[in-house]
Amino acid sequence: MLRRSFAVLPLMALALAAQALDRTKPPETPPIPGYKLPPAFETKLPNGLTIVLLEDARFPLVTASLSFQAGSRFDPDGAPGLAEAAAALLTEGTRTRTSRQISEETDAMGGSLGGSAGADGLALGGNALSENLARLLALMADCAMNANFPADEVSLYQRNRVQNLLSQRSDPSFLAEEKFSELVYGSSPYAHIAPTQASIAKFTPSALASYRDARLVPNNATLLLIGKLPARDELLKTIAAQFGSWKQAPLPAEPKMDTPAPKRQIVLVDRPGSVQADIRVGRLAPTRVSPEFFPLIVGSNVLGGGTNSRMFKDIREKEGFAYDAHSGYNTHRVSSDFGAVTEVRNEVLEPALNAVFAELEGMAGAPVPAAELANVQNYMAGMYLLRLETQEGVAAQLNNMKTLGLPNDYLETYVQKVRSVTPDQIQAVARKYMAPADAAVVVVGDASKIGDALKKFGDVTVVKAN
Amino acid sequence: MRKLIACSLLVAGAFMARSAEVSIPIEKYQLANGLRVILSKDNAVPVVAVYIIYDVGSRSEEKGRTGFAHLFEHMMFEGSANAPKGTHFATVESNGGSLNGSTHPDYTDYFEVLPSNKLATALWLESDRMRSLSINDENLKNQKEAVKQERRLNFDNQPYATAIVDVWPTLMYRNWQSSHSLIGSFEDLNASSVADVSKFFRTYYAPNNAALVIVGDIQSADARKLIEAYFGDIPSQPQPKRPDLAEPPNAEPRSQVYKDPLAQVPGVVIGYPGPKRRSPDYYALNMIDAILTAGDSSRIRQDLVKGKKSVVQYEAALGWPFAGAQDFRDPEPYAMFLLYNPMFKAADIVSQVQDEMAKLQNEAVDAKELERVKMQLRAGRIKDLQESINRARALAQYAIADGSPESINTELDAMLAVTPAQIQAAAKKYLAPERRVVLEIQPAPNPAPPAEPARKEGM
Repeated sequence: MLRRSFAVLPLMALALAAQALDRTKPPETPPIPGYKLPPAFETKLPNGLTIVLLEDARFPLVTASLSFQAGSRFDPDGAPGLAEAAAALLTEGTRTRTSRQISEETDAMGGSLGGSAGADGLALGGNALSENLARLLALMADCAMNANFPADEVSLYQRNRVQNLLSQRSDPSFLAEEKFSELVYGSSPYAHIAPTQASIAKFTPSALASYRDARLVPNNATLLLIGKLPARDELLKTIAAQFGSWKQAPLPAEPKMDTPAPKRQIVLVDRPGSVQADIRVGRLAPTRVSPEFFPLIVGSNVLGGGTNSRMFKDIREKEGFAYDAHSGYNTHRVSSDFGAVTEVRNEVLEPALNAVFAELEGMAGAPVPAAELANVQNYMAGMYLLRLETQEGVAAQLNNMKTLGLPNDYLETYVQKVRSVTPDQIQAVARKYMAPADAAVVVVGDASKIGDALKKFGDVTVVKAN
Repeated sequence: MRKLIACSLLVAGAFMARSAEVSIPIEKYQLANGLRVILSKDNAVPVVAVYIIYDVGSRSEEKGRTGFAHLFEHMMFEGSANAPKGTHFATVESNGGSLNGSTHPDYTDYFEVLPSNKLATALWLESDRMRSLSINDENLKNQKEAVKQERRLNFDNQPYATAIVDVWPTLMYRNWQSSHSLIGSFEDLNASSVADVSKFFRTYYAPNNAALVIVGDIQSADARKLIEAYFGDIPSQPQPKRPDLAEPPNAEPRSQVYKDPLAQVPGVVIGYPGPKRRSPDYYALNMIDAILTAGDSSRIRQDLVKGKKSVVQYEAALGWPFAGAQDFRDPEPYAMFLLYNPMFKAADIVSQVQDEMAKLQNEAVDAKELERVKMQLRAGRIKDLQESINRARALAQYAIADGSPESINTELDAMLAVTPAQIQAAAKKYLAPERRVVLEIQPAPNPAPPAEPARKEGM
């Protein structure tokens, strides 16, 4: 962000003065301006804590995150949701601060502070007005090092998480995501996108404390600060004072991550009363460090990224089957999934599902025309820029790199790698990962309304929504 | 894409204007045809946001045409004389941009965010549809279907949504302009004609009923030339009238129970008719909202979620669910939506919330709490203004609601000036049980047949 040099070419108006405007075609415009993120400064404390600093002085704010290799991938067998619970409860009490004190201190610095967990990472994230950075760091250090999971806070969390789970399960897209992950990832922890009522009962203070001691250690963590920062020497001293006494510890072995071989299977999640059918068609896919990543992410955008994509234009605009139709390439550190997603009227399930298959086969069947590819590459290059407007956007990108184990030049080279993908490379990965022969098909809807139509595609396993 | 701004559930929030530290540059002028133009330069990232606001929303609809403003918004993406159907999406996205439009009770907006070399492209697209929208039967038919599909996805198939969009307004408002469904009935959508679309376009989509805001990496002399070239010769139209939104005086308590077959956790909506925009009470109620719901130290969280362990999630705003303090146009309620633990009854939650109101009425907010809330409002505003599209939206809303985009730099000061005595007085005047409106949303015990509108269509 950040006031950096970039070649701005504000020349577009010059031609206009000289001649009448031709409205019949899009205006000629100068080339896309170059833009580079300023380099991040990276160092480590003796206890292994990685520190990343990025100066962005446009707004008097600081965004901070302390992220760990500790997402749901590390949840013990039978206890999905433990990482999420630990994250949520980091700010609910320490040896010296009650939950209420933590909230009041955070709010008093114009900040926010909270934990969250994804598939691979757990992060304690926050922000504050720049003038309050030292206080924010002190609070983050206390929560990370000394969270003590008070019994009454844990039991309130358990109680409310059960209600939230019920609320999530009333949403058909959640049910579709849940079943799809289960089919694609089998017995691996990536199969679980949420806790269960049974696992929530296991999140006791001692289970949470064990999790904290095993994974929330400095040699497994990165502290990232973005914003209007004080002078670097002074800042590093503050950080060392807050986090230097944190003890490192050996990390437990990586969990086993066996994923089943993809195969065609059709599962109907029965949700009586549904007025739509939520469809997902997809399978396992390569991770971001694979050479197949860039061809597949570009191909995924051709197929279903945005309103100019094939799925949107065909399934929504031409056929009117759905309000939304898109594809998603959901990358984790160890394995990933790729899928096509749409929600259609009950009575058009059959032609809509055929249309989804046809689009997937189309990607595998022929190379993407050069002009279409160039448009998608432009789209992705522009989206990359748009994501860098806010401190949170930059922080999300940098954290993602650390969590997924990506090289330090990932952001810098992203646009160039997107632009260098060829039609042949896309077709090759489409044959492997988009062609639907081995895809899992999940449909959430009213079985009494759509069951017969779905059976035309093969054997259907019907399961209850609850 | 192109959505009726839906209730983004369960994000507690209150935000208002500027801070001492951040000042948004503003250059404003008007074209001869009445188009208001606001430029705000920020060359830090090579991105530009082009945002057009039209001063018309769902509350300008006529009886028998519920949902029409939103249907019309869809028509704006169906092509124009020089940018036929499909061109808008294709041009913006293939140039690396994002776009959308949304319909609100009192305004409708359209925007593109693009790499800054594509400013002219966005102006070409926006001016072409303001000048020469393609209105025909085929496009209308196609978009009626898209809107119905949107209704099924975002409302008929979602818990709480039907209660909030269709039922809540009938309870909260007594003036039909405000109380009718903003997404509309399938019946009314079907009845809309090409003639309706043409009339609406002519009446409301004229340059003199709009404001164009450009925020980001621009050079203003060049931007001015482009704007004049693209928009300067679009003819103006007679200024349309704003709908009469007056509510009958003497608010009275109302309540209703709605059974929701898709909900699994009980919820309750509680609202009170609110004050005039930018009156002293408006600022005081916005401060009250922050005291009750902003941040983890807020009273609803500390007293109800934590203390009584009754509420599970909540959100609130002046103008909830379809507006916020920034786009609040009178009359609007202050309303709150809470999900709660089924060990409690809705009446318990209502009385716990009313106890919070009583506390605001009876005890002055202490200095430390007030200081904390003000700090949050300041920071929240700065965070919000980081994105160029948010700056554009705020400038546009202040432009059409108050005629002063400059409010982006002053509203926060008005808000922070609120005193404990004003808070107490506003709580007494507005948040009394005699004025309270309550909608209980109970999970229905059994799956019910599809929602009413779907049946009407003969599914």
